[in-house]
Amino acid sequence: MGLLQRAIEAEGIPTIGITLQKEVTKKVKPPRAVYLRYPFGHPLGEAFHVKQQRTILLDALQALETITEPGTILEPGYLWRRHRFE
Amino acid sequence: MGRLHNLTNALVVQLYKHLPWLSERWARRHRFVETEGIPWVPMRKPLRETVIALATTAGVHLKTQPPFDMDDPNGDASFRVIPSDVKAEAVVITHNYYDHSAADKDLNVVLPLDRLKELKTEGRIGGIAPFVYGFMGHIDGPHVDTLVKQTAPEVARRLMRDGAEAVVLTPA
Repeated sequence: MGLLQRAIEAEGIPTIGITLQKEVTKKVKPPRAVYLRYPFGHPLGEAFHVKQQRTILLDALQALETITEPGTILEPGYLWRRHRFE
Repeated sequence: MGRLHNLTNALVVQLYKHLPWLSERWARRHRFVETEGIPWVPMRKPLRETVIALATTAGVHLKTQPPFDMDDPNGDASFRVIPSDVKAEAVVITHNYYDHSAADKDLNVVLPLDRLKELKTEGRIGGIAPFVYGFMGHIDGPHVDTLVKQTAPEVARRLMRDGAEAVVLTPA
């Protein structure tokens, strides 16, 4: 996914990637990333958990504005199935 | 042979789902395309005025489109163009390398189109680009070259033509 992200940014569009694999992301070096320690298949969290999905999407969107250093990986630190999303 | 491969794969998928640290270990030992430099363009306007596009490597495509190639162990570097106003019933996930049972029930788990529409309605983003680009993120061997030299740049150009001003990417 990071390679696709890099290609899009190289074309001139700002990008943010949600990643579940920090080690891969560190190697591929996309411009901006949000890392979640969530199981594969759950980049926005659990099915039908609207608040959780919304928070993660907003985290990603806001990271487009807040990340100023290329290669930054943000870590909101949500605990899988334990964090209470408001 | 194919059946054994599928069974082994299904077992590995479950192991990785339940033991996330396995993937970190795998990533440290696996050779990836190590990249030099980091492409970078800043946001040109505030988020509330920006047109957002989604792209995913979770194997999402329309039911009417050909599925991703699950027989080639090196994966499939092609992509599918999905209208952003698609109904969840019209899409399917073809990707045997992760457990997509949650996303099968609620597409937003891998492709948060409903959440994006809500943010548009609330005025948190400026708009939604007309198309989503779907890849199948298991790409290895010669297909990495196809992705880097052909399909990824092609999708980047399409996103530009679509008027996308920022892109959110979601993995499997």
